[in-house]
Amino acid sequence: MRLIDREEQNIVILSPKGKIMGGPDASLLHDKLYECIEKNKKRVVIDLAGVDWMNSTGLGILISSYTTLRNHEGELKLANVTDKIRSLLTITKLVSVFESFDSVDEAVKSFK
Amino acid sequence: MKKPVIKGDTITVPSHPEYLTDVDAFLEGTLRGFGAEESVVADIAISVSELVNNAIVHGNKSIMDKKVTVTIARHNRAVVITVSDEGGGFDPTCVQSPLAEENLMKEVGRGLFIVHSLMDQVQVEPSQKGTRVTVTKEI
Repeated sequence: MRLIDREEQNIVILSPKGKIMGGPDASLLHDKLYECIEKNKKRVVIDLAGVDWMNSTGLGILISSYTTLRNHEGELKLANVTDKIRSLLTITKLVSVFESFDSVDEAVKSFK
Repeated sequence: MKKPVIKGDTITVPSHPEYLTDVDAFLEGTLRGFGAEESVVADIAISVSELVNNAIVHGNKSIMDKKVTVTIARHNRAVVITVSDEGGGFDPTCVQSPLAEENLMKEVGRGLFIVHSLMDQVQVEPSQKGTRVTVTKEI
């Protein structure tokens, strides 16, 4: 997995690319998230458009990110959830946990 | 880091999560050679990554000298994949439901549930010499 980050209207947009299957993937996203929190940037969108697929480790990373931000009075939203990932979120009932949007723009606007 | 060992339809790797990408590359290459659709390739790849992760962490307890072996074969329209570890075995009936309200926000514990959801057949054979999981999926 690779991770690209940018900012839009003071909201951090994290764009993982490739497959999220474990190993160093978790620490990559986790470290970036803590870097954002330390800079007091606690409103985050994870753009999943470039993620081919993820396994339960990937779902665990999303939950960890969600919980970490909530514990620091921040917020996490998802954008561009692919059919494959939506299917995993549905069968694991996590679809009810995450707020998701069809585009990064919509996710960013939802913070206002 | 030792290199993965590939012999025909089998790949063997040490117990470290960095080898997940090697197993995935081997698996996806083989499945595309079988002519499997991309959606099916992804379902199988997700499931095998879960099984290899379980074999490394829960089976072999991340002891690098212990190996994880993945074998892939095609039988008519189905693909049969076996993932074996060298751990002490486990009781699959002890796995908690990840759908229970108290487990919903846990970061771990969904692997085998996802495998059962995505594969047509799942057979878990624990023993004192290790656990062997065989999954089948029509392509």
